Amino acid sequence: MSSENQPTAAMDSLLQALQVNIIPNQEYLLQGSILDTQVQRLLHRLKGLCDNVETAPEQFFDYEVCFSLRAPMNEQTLQMQQAPPPLLLRVRRSNDPADSHMPFQLRYIGNPELGDAKRPTLVRASFDISCSPSIIDFLTEMGCRMEFEYTVKGYLFRKGRMKITVSKIFKAMNMNQEPLSQSYLVELSVLAPSGSDAVAEDMRVFAEKLKPLVILEKIDYKRLATVPYD
Amino acid sequence: MGVTILVPYPLEKKTGPEVIEDLAKRLLAMQATPAGQFLVDGDIFDNPTMNKTKIHVMHNSEYPASVFSILDNGQKQIPLITDLIFDLLMLKVSPTYQSKKSLKIESKGPRYELGDFLIKLGSVTMSQNQNFKGILIEVDYRPCLVPALCWDLMREFMQGFLGQHAPTTVPAYFTTNIPMNPVQHFQRYNDTYQPIDTVQQYLEHFNNFRKQTQAPMMMTPRN
Repeated sequence: MSSENQPTAAMDSLLQALQVNIIPNQEYLLQGSILDTQVQRLLHRLKGLCDNVETAPEQFFDYEVCFSLRAPMNEQTLQMQQAPPPLLLRVRRSNDPADSHMPFQLRYIGNPELGDAKRPTLVRASFDISCSPSIIDFLTEMGCRMEFEYTVKGYLFRKGRMKITVSKIFKAMNMNQEPLSQSYLVELSVLAPSGSDAVAEDMRVFAEKLKPLVILEKIDYKRLATVPYD
Repeated sequence: MGVTILVPYPLEKKTGPEVIEDLAKRLLAMQATPAGQFLVDGDIFDNPTMNKTKIHVMHNSEYPASVFSILDNGQKQIPLITDLIFDLLMLKVSPTYQSKKSLKIESKGPRYELGDFLIKLGSVTMSQNQNFKGILIEVDYRPCLVPALCWDLMREFMQGFLGQHAPTTVPAYFTTNIPMNPVQHFQRYNDTYQPIDTVQQYLEHFNNFRKQTQAPMMMTPRN
């Protein structure tokens, strides 16, 4: 019974892991889109460039729902006369019956940092947490409000640490699967511990190889928010 | 993993470390082998605007990669099992839910193996001052997954080792019907035991200790 094999409190070991940068909590991201008519060309190109050449690309069909949690108004926020931005939490699960035993994914995404022109990718804080299916009830009871939901269907490729998804977004739970647009969303991302800036350079090089089929860029969401809807 | 029964053990005018030592001697006399240490901890997060809703975030060293959370809104409990990173997320929700440091509670102590049984002798301490609250003994019968099938065996084992303080009836946790849950229409006694059941038993006892305003008979700080 030496004190050496005393288990440390889970929170302490987690904070320690955070300090030595082994927890992947930063997402490096580039996004773009391609028209439905051209997507086959992109898929062929990705098949050639990516790691999983022998097998067909992995397919996925997921349902995602986004919840927001608003902080209560306190004296400080009342003085500022504006509520703090809500915390956004996303829950994703596979719609494929073959994956019914897989855990749900809970995801927190922080504010995107675009950085200057020299920084090749967008960087945002991200926690990916596997969880049990009770998560939706749990968040609802916690006081979270459902913001939006959708289903997404597409292909997943890998190249080293990079993840490339080519996917189409549909209105959620619609039997006819009504697509939201006539194009596919293309995302190139890496989830890494903070300080792994070298990976951003790899991503820039890879994105160059997909030009001119698809232009992967740092997308500024704040700019998009001011674009009026059709 | 198996079926776990958690029982509080009275101090009877002894100090916590003395009781643990007595029980450890008894186990060693029964040819049990020491098997390291264990730690189960529980934290409460509450929301000042939603008085009744509390989130219990718990860890069990037996499942070091998981966080067990139980949301209690006064009417029902929703259990949630997640990765460890969930702890970091709970720091992010801090404007809404805040951790009550003074109610943080943990049970830790030595583990022993005896054949198919695993026995853990836990000293319960609360808040950062490590106030000693009592003793919880965990008995785990590993080859079985359904409490109904091994309760008699476990009861007999506990009687041999805890004497008159062993439980004689099935703990209420297993026999109460679970309301508001259409999937679990029968009692946990006949259901497959899961790691969250251990955590829920700990939560029940931790809450009893938290309510306890008076210190146990012989209050002693640990170590």
